[in-house]
Amino acid sequence: MKWLKLAIKNVLRNRRRALVTILITAVGVAAILIGGGFANFTYVSLKEMAARSSGHLIVAHKDYFDKEESVPMEFGLNDFSSLAKKLKSDEDIRYVIPKVEFTGLISNGEKSTIFMGSGVDPKYEFKVKGPFLTIDDGNILSKREKENNPQVMLGKKMAKYFNAKINDSLTLLSTTVDGSLNAIDVTVQGIFSTGIPELDKRSILVNINTAQSLLSTDKISNLALHLRETEATFSKYNKLTREYADLGWQTWLDTAFFYVGVKELYNRIFGLLGFIIIMMVFFSIYNTVNMSVVERTREIGTLRAIGTYSNEVTRNFVLEGLVISFIGASIGISIAALTSLGLSIAEIQMPPPPGRTSSYPLAVDIPVNLYLITAAIVTVVCIIASWLSSYKASNKSIVGALSHV
Amino acid sequence: MTNIIETKNISKQYEQGDLSVSALNDVNISLSNQAFAALLGPSGSGKSTLLNICGLIDKPTQGALYFCGENIADASDKELTTIRRNKLGFIFQGFNLVPVMSVYDNVEYPLILLGVGKKLRRERVTAMLETVGLLPFEKHLPDQVSGGQKQRVAIARALITQPRLVIADEPTANLDTQTATDIINLMYTMHKDFGTAFIIATHDERMSSHCNIEYQLHDGALQ
Repeated sequence: MKWLKLAIKNVLRNRRRALVTILITAVGVAAILIGGGFANFTYVSLKEMAARSSGHLIVAHKDYFDKEESVPMEFGLNDFSSLAKKLKSDEDIRYVIPKVEFTGLISNGEKSTIFMGSGVDPKYEFKVKGPFLTIDDGNILSKREKENNPQVMLGKKMAKYFNAKINDSLTLLSTTVDGSLNAIDVTVQGIFSTGIPELDKRSILVNINTAQSLLSTDKISNLALHLRETEATFSKYNKLTREYADLGWQTWLDTAFFYVGVKELYNRIFGLLGFIIIMMVFFSIYNTVNMSVVERTREIGTLRAIGTYSNEVTRNFVLEGLVISFIGASIGISIAALTSLGLSIAEIQMPPPPGRTSSYPLAVDIPVNLYLITAAIVTVVCIIASWLSSYKASNKSIVGALSHV
Repeated sequence: MTNIIETKNISKQYEQGDLSVSALNDVNISLSNQAFAALLGPSGSGKSTLLNICGLIDKPTQGALYFCGENIADASDKELTTIRRNKLGFIFQGFNLVPVMSVYDNVEYPLILLGVGKKLRRERVTAMLETVGLLPFEKHLPDQVSGGQKQRVAIARALITQPRLVIADEPTANLDTQTATDIINLMYTMHKDFGTAFIIATHDERMSSHCNIEYQLHDGALQ
């Protein structure tokens, strides 16, 4: 405690210099935390979006993910109800949602275009998609649609292409599992936006029964498993792949190309920025302690002469560095926490990222471990900077130090 | 009786570029417990060099140095620091007090280094400050007391660990006549009361009247 008090007194010797160093440390810590918090918020959002889109786990025929089908649904799942029921009995799994993926032509009688369709179960599909699917017009698919009036939801850009309105009639044309052509008339129930222009140009959603009817099959393409906790994905994947080795399995990460790309990019950008900031803090503290050491060379000589070991002198300077880092880090953490809170209240929107049409909230989600890691890094940096700048002076000749002017 | 410090034919050369400057030549001194020794000589005669060697903050380039009978010429920096911490006290011409520490803290510092408990430290520092007449100033910073009082703090700091030997380098040089006389009397009283040996580099002739040994240095050699 005595040494800590002495270190605080020594830090306060040159208040302006100490204040500048503390502010640099605080700004550095705040920048790392805010940058890291923003990246973390982005990762969490993209992960959630990817998981909600595909399901945390996707189970299909064993060849579904690796081979190309020669006819539609060649690698579809038969008798999926019993499998779905069995999987649903696992208490970690919240929803088991069947899906039919298909492609074909869509036409309004005047012009046509290709589509990428998903046959979904409206009861659960829109529940799990939540805020990650924007309904621009109309409604989601009915849970119980009339058999003679199948519904379709169009991607925003496709709707624009057809100049389609709600209740307009369109025709879907696709190849059945037998290889013949089949067509079905559908009514526009809603227009949605995924935020990705290319998808909005090609995507349609229909009821799973409609898709099966179009393809003349009872099979489904895959089952999407939505877990209660995203963190449980990989342990559950390991367990289920052992239990159901005859089926094909993927996790949400296998399909989350945007998430993986953004994470790699952000990790590099924020990693480099973090490194630069840490170096800035390092040199700031090194400079401050170094100047203090030079100014107090005579005092160091005196302390050494009256019996202070050189490592004790170095320790005192390291303590001074730690005092600066502690105050700076505390202020930085407070700034970051307040910024995070302020942004959550202000609800500022970021412009859409490249290749996207929808903006997203500017938010900073700083996990506890980022606070701890940043504080630990700054502490270590301060120890190294203080030690480096004081070690030489502490081991200098005492006579030389005492005659220092 | 073993001398506290004894030098045998010590010499000290400083290298200045290609030149070798001799600061001490074959110097032999010995100090016992009762020594209140003056080290006299003009500027550049080697007083400070000899004092630094006796204070174990410098090493001779030749000769043997004995502290309490042990040859310490080859002792490590850590060993010398331990001896200084336990058995030596220093009084500097410029007082050399730590400016951010109060009078009390400056005197207490060597006891902290020795690991003395808080209660005993309090007792000993209070007694020492009373002896040197600075108890009312215990909370003052060095900048808030006079030059004479600063030197009293330095004397108190040097003696608080009850060392065997105090090294004093021109302790009265920065003081007015009356204060210098007071400081000389105080050091002599402490020498008598505590039984601590002193070696004092000085130009002050009044110091001589109290000293029982005088070493006169000239051009690095004893006269």
